[in-house]
Amino acid sequence: MNDVILDMRQIDKSFPGVHALDHVDFNVRRGEVHALMGENGAGKSTLMKVLTGIYKKDSGTIIFEGKEREFTTPKEAQDAGVIIVHQELNMINHLTVAQNIFIGREPKKGLFIDDEKMNKEAAKLFERLNIDINPKERMMNLTVGKQQMCEIAKAVSHDAKVIVFDEPTAALTDGEIRELFAIIRDLRSKGMGIVYISHRMNEIEEISDRVTVMRDGAYVGTVNTVDTNKDEIIHMMVGRVIYEDPKAESNVPKDAPVVLKVENLNAGRMVKDVSFELRKGEILGFSGLMGAGRTETARAIFGADPKDSGYIYINGRKVDIKSPEDAVANGIGYLSEDRRRYGIVVDKTVAENVTMATLENFVSGSFIDEEAERKEAEKYIEQLDIRTPSPHQKVANLSGGNQQKVVIAKWLARNCEILIFDEPTRGIDVGAKNEIYQLMNELVAQGKSIIMISSEITEILRMSDRIMVMCEGSITGELDICEATQESIMHAATLRE
Amino acid sequence: MEKIKNIALVKKIGFNKLVLVFVLILMYFVFALFSPTFISYDRILSALSYSYFLGFLALGVTFVIATGGIDFSIGPVMFASALISGYLLTRSGWPLVLCLVISVLVGLIFGAINGYLVAYWDVAPFITSMGLMQIAKGAGSVFTHTQSVSWPQSSEANGWYRNLVRYSNGSISIPVGLITLLVVAFICAIILNKTKIGRYILCLGSNKEAVRLSGVNVRKWQMLAYVISGTLVGIAAIFFVGAYTTVQPGLGDQYNNEAIAAVVMGGTSMSGGVASIGGTIIGVMIISLLQEGILALGFTKDFQLIITGLIVLTAVYLDVFSNQKKN
Repeated sequence: MNDVILDMRQIDKSFPGVHALDHVDFNVRRGEVHALMGENGAGKSTLMKVLTGIYKKDSGTIIFEGKEREFTTPKEAQDAGVIIVHQELNMINHLTVAQNIFIGREPKKGLFIDDEKMNKEAAKLFERLNIDINPKERMMNLTVGKQQMCEIAKAVSHDAKVIVFDEPTAALTDGEIRELFAIIRDLRSKGMGIVYISHRMNEIEEISDRVTVMRDGAYVGTVNTVDTNKDEIIHMMVGRVIYEDPKAESNVPKDAPVVLKVENLNAGRMVKDVSFELRKGEILGFSGLMGAGRTETARAIFGADPKDSGYIYINGRKVDIKSPEDAVANGIGYLSEDRRRYGIVVDKTVAENVTMATLENFVSGSFIDEEAERKEAEKYIEQLDIRTPSPHQKVANLSGGNQQKVVIAKWLARNCEILIFDEPTRGIDVGAKNEIYQLMNELVAQGKSIIMISSEITEILRMSDRIMVMCEGSITGELDICEATQESIMHAATLRE
Repeated sequence: MEKIKNIALVKKIGFNKLVLVFVLILMYFVFALFSPTFISYDRILSALSYSYFLGFLALGVTFVIATGGIDFSIGPVMFASALISGYLLTRSGWPLVLCLVISVLVGLIFGAINGYLVAYWDVAPFITSMGLMQIAKGAGSVFTHTQSVSWPQSSEANGWYRNLVRYSNGSISIPVGLITLLVVAFICAIILNKTKIGRYILCLGSNKEAVRLSGVNVRKWQMLAYVISGTLVGIAAIFFVGAYTTVQPGLGDQYNNEAIAAVVMGGTSMSGGVASIGGTIIGVMIISLLQEGILALGFTKDFQLIITGLIVLTAVYLDVFSNQKKN
């Protein structure tokens, strides 16, 4: 059993301001499935990127097949037999299955590509892996599951010795997951080392031999899957010291009126039958792992993306929100997780951004009343303590925290009663973070209601009065703040229906 | 250099624009040196005549480029306007004033269709304007049975419209067109910088999604930019025939490039969000002087095409380059 094919020792990697990998140890044996787990930002992907040469490590050693190696490009890693099957598939839709598998190394007959030979080779490969796919089929006609199998076949055809699966089941149906697992077991029995990154606890229990947990860029520990259980793994994942006290109890009276009610909302693949209520003066936390569908839910409510079905009620009145315009007219404001793309117009001024949602209030006759606009901006610069030399400064020149305040000012100017804060403190330094928290508390004290989406559990516990947990597009838990713990949230976040 | 950039007046007008003005003056002197006729008032008026219709085209397309779009149909649409309204005037005998209104309407309708396709159907402006360019050329041809249309000369009945370009009564010549162009440019600058229309056009050119998520009906404002542009194209048609009277079907493409060259040279960013009406006007003057000067120096028109092409490439390169530096 101690036949280690890949051994990563004391891998260290820093980015400006972040210690992404802190002397991490990780090894894979021949013929095992080794699960790599951790919260968002724990460092799993960074570690795999260091392995395959996308990032250069600062220190540490990688020993592959008994020799120290350092791959400088993914191609080099691939040639050596270390291959990642990505979450997003790298397939060209208009080519056939065989063409995709042999892309860049097509068998030639003189000047031309030998299609016949290529199809035969692909068919042989599929037979070996017990995959039932026609090599001549165009990639776009396959289901996501089948496409993924082509990706695996491609990896195997590269003579892979270590295959890394990054969240492979995220887009698969149960039947496809069965097939995938059969293939993974088959690869394992052939002596390959398999790294399996996933958040799905029950899959980990089913497929993996060992589990390594990472947290905040550091190695936490490795356990044999048979010797552990879900609770222990979750504890390893979240067991960090909490610097900020969580909120002890909800500040919202039980009989506070419901300002927003969402009923059976469906939108695309990522929002499935979502229902919840938001009460006046409440901060409703939305927790979950990356890709849980929280942002998609917010965007569907706000009218930024189309809804498939479902109802939205504001103050008990059914509303039909088809566009952000409708949402804003109904008193909803949305702070996007991606501030620079969706929140602000960076090369316009603070004043122009602050009045973006309320410009009609600053138009007299046909002209913009620049004086009134400047006054409005100055009001919020003072109220929110936005650090800018003047209202006419370009927002691009402000820090992340101050840019976020400009977006908040935009919605306050609009006097929105319902605010959706999507990752409000992402990319913001600690000091500005606390200011944003304080501001949110002031807003709910004034009777506004906030939905806060956050991937940081500590932030969720500190700010929320009530917590909704989402997993793969569905609501998988509703917790009152007095009963919520990191563990209980993580339980719900890794629950798969 | 840094010292000059820091003078208050230079800052207010913009260093780049002053460079352009300097280039314009320098060009004039170079042309005057090689071709002394350039010093004559008539020659200047002739160069100016070219700048009027080109100016209206460029002003219009400034709005479109400010949204991050592009329009390759303006030249042919201008010709379609002039052909259709001119045919109605000279062959069908419709009243002149009505025909002038129709000219503007034709431009407006093309602009509205273009804007609708871009804003509401999310088709790339490059594609829609290519399609409309073909349609405009074809429509002009079909309407006039593939014949050129000659608007009346000054001395003929209905010839007074030419006074819009240049008022002459034997002894004096007044460039009325220049006054009109500058007044319209001033109005455009006001719209772009002081009104809600301009604010939204510039903001959506910069970051359309952020403006949409602020609850603004971005489609409406995006379409409006094309409608403004189309209207100005219709006006440009009047000033084209006012200067040259004859229009042929199936042409007009070259003016797209000249107008876009003038706009980009004037400091309007091809990626949208930044626009300068003053810069556009200076750019138009440079292109107009260039075309007159090249002919005066005895070169053929082909050289002008090459130089205009080079100007577009240089201006776009500088635009991209300065964007990269910013990021």
